[in-house]
Amino acid sequence: MGEVKTKPVERAEQGLWEKSYIPEILRGLSVTAGHFFRNISPRKSQRRIFTKNYPEEPTVYPERYRGLHRLMLRDDGQVRCVACMCCSTICPADCIHIEAGEHDDPSIEKYPAVFVIDELRCIVCGLCVEACPCDAIRMDSGRHIPPYTERNEAFFDRDLLMELGGLSQAKQGGDRTPAAAE
Amino acid sequence: MPKVNINGTEIEVEKGTTILKAAAQAGFEVPHFCYHPALSIPANCRMCLVEVEGARSLEPACYSEVTDGMVVETKSERVIKAQKSVLEFILLNHPVDCPICDQAGECKLQDYYMAYDAQESRLRAEKNQKVKVFPIGPEVLYDGERCILCTRCIRFCEEITGTNELTIVQRGDSAEIRTFPGKELDNPYSVCTADICPVGALTSRDFRFKCRVWLLQSTDSVCTGCSNGCNIHLEHFRNEIQRYRPRYNPQVNDYWMCDAGRLSYKEVHTDRLLRPMSNGAALNWHGVTETASAKLARALDDDAGSFGFVVSPQASCEDLFLAKRFIEEVLGTDQLYLGGKPDGFEDDFLIKADKNPNRQGVKAVFGGLNDFGDVDKLIDDIESGAIKTLYMMETHLPADAETRQRFVDALDKLDLFVLQAQHCAELANQAHLALPACSHAETEGTFVNFDGLAQPFEQAFAPHGDSLPHWQIFMRLARAMGQPLTYTFVHQIRDEMFQASDADENGEPAEAQAE
Ligand code: SF4
Ligand code: SF4
Ligand code: SF4
Ligand code: SF4
Ligand code: FES
Repeated sequence: MGEVKTKPVERAEQGLWEKSYIPEILRGLSVTAGHFFRNISPRKSQRRIFTKNYPEEPTVYPERYRGLHRLMLRDDGQVRCVACMCCSTICPADCIHIEAGEHDDPSIEKYPAVFVIDELRCIVCGLCVEACPCDAIRMDSGRHIPPYTERNEAFFDRDLLMELGGLSQAKQGGDRTPAAAE
Repeated sequence: MPKVNINGTEIEVEKGTTILKAAAQAGFEVPHFCYHPALSIPANCRMCLVEVEGARSLEPACYSEVTDGMVVETKSERVIKAQKSVLEFILLNHPVDCPICDQAGECKLQDYYMAYDAQESRLRAEKNQKVKVFPIGPEVLYDGERCILCTRCIRFCEEITGTNELTIVQRGDSAEIRTFPGKELDNPYSVCTADICPVGALTSRDFRFKCRVWLLQSTDSVCTGCSNGCNIHLEHFRNEIQRYRPRYNPQVNDYWMCDAGRLSYKEVHTDRLLRPMSNGAALNWHGVTETASAKLARALDDDAGSFGFVVSPQASCEDLFLAKRFIEEVLGTDQLYLGGKPDGFEDDFLIKADKNPNRQGVKAVFGGLNDFGDVDKLIDDIESGAIKTLYMMETHLPADAETRQRFVDALDKLDLFVLQAQHCAELANQAHLALPACSHAETEGTFVNFDGLAQPFEQAFAPHGDSLPHWQIFMRLARAMGQPLTYTFVHQIRDEMFQASDADENGEPAEAQAE
């Protein structure tokens, strides 16, 4: 074990002014009052409103906000995911359940016959997105995880996740000539 | 004995040792694809090139034998350059579809790429394309794009099974593995080709897409498919066996196992008896132990002479040892019968006709098989009323369907039928008491194979449902009947068993060598 470095911090002594209490309260109130009057000023440009009218006015999330998962789609609308289980392997909450199936198209081979994420159990770490080799799972749906009243409402299955999905810009699988794919 | 210098390490090896083996002894890995210790050496993949001082070109370590005073470099600049070039060449048309490849995680190409190559592809043209999922045999699929043409599979079929199904067709980058016309890769050991294939070109149909290999946990075990007792890696995920893979043991199965044995894990997960039952009603162990001991005690009081016991060669030696003590000390009966599966297919390689893993164990524990009655005698005894109470281990009987039906019909005549088994079969409903026993994956124990070799197996996961190992069930009943047999660990039984057994030529469990 290494040494833990410590740095003693001096406590600032309170002066008579702070100890007498009332003046500091008045100073705080004056800030509040200042905001109040500025925000009811008839000149709108003077107002600086800090309150958000959520949920009437939704907040804008930053671009890299991690929200509900979505499953991306191939050009023909099928699921991009190939059931490689990288996401479910890395998931620290163990909340992704995948069962692989044999796809009719031999150039796709493997697809997720079952893909369920337990959004309640998810800790929104985003590791699944980073682990995916196929850009098949993302968390940029811009929606945060809604509240649930039933446990099983939080099980998002493949089709639900695909509804939030979209096309990926990444090219998948290369071009296969029909003869070779047979 | 020749002395060689490998990467500066002086080592003395047997005459005729290859550089690859000598390097392994000195502690250096030489990457290799086509070389397999049990097969001939074609030296066709060139992954194992090493630099030998004084030689003009690099030499294949798998093939070249060491000579006295040889100085070998396995990590020189020339070697590293050669390794990178070989890997780049192999990967030229390789699909690298690892996300959908069952080999990913145990793929030599993946591992070697990370360890010896790790450079970007320079190929700017489209890759060569071949048939992806070619059904080369009933148990095995072939992916031509992933194949690196190492010919391990061909050599396996030539040298190990002698069935000669496979060959290479076409040339250059169109070359692929195919079967000879009119043939299929359909021999009793075909899935071994998928084991030895260093990449994901040959894959097992049964294991296909079932589980990623990095999720598997592996337990050293023994196959229960027949009395050969092939050593296996029992690989499981979340309390379920996903596959068996042969474990190297030169005394028993080398690197191989048969396809039927490989699929025998399915029995562990089908038709399981999971709760103790009394006349069809599920009970807990507490309740059933009381009921069972009371009923057995009453049966013994009434007529101890009409008590029969069916011993199973499917159970481990430890289970059998406790069965013997239970029979002798608690029940005091000598009307014993031998259960187990009927004989089946056999060949001159691994597969044995006796489909029970532990007949020799029964022999060793009970001191011979002469005291045991066969199925016909069992049925006759039940029908004639000589047996009124039957205690049966496991559901198998060495009988055809007709005889088995006769047995099932005869069961109605019994006053008390106690079944202690892994499976329900058709017997659990008939049993007055059905006690769930667990499989070899859920406990530890010893099987003695046909050759008299005692082989231990380890516990992979907790017993399914309420099932318990046979020996614990016997212990519970004995305690409830006032004649406790007390053991806490399997190894206590094992020690006592080896002492008691006069068939001590089995000796200690064989140590399996590492691959
Ligand atoms: S965000 Fe994290 S916890 Fe949630 S599913 Fe992905 S990996 Fe699992
Ligand atoms: S979402 Fe991505 S990482 Fe998860 S299984 Fe599908 S392809 Fe693999
Ligand atoms: S054979 Fe190996 S490298 Fe090739 S796709 Fe399969 S895992 Fe990947
Ligand atoms: S199928 Fe596998 S074992 Fe056979 S030649 Fe190809 S890579 Fe080698
Ligand atoms: S392992 Fe030596 S050439 Fe293939």
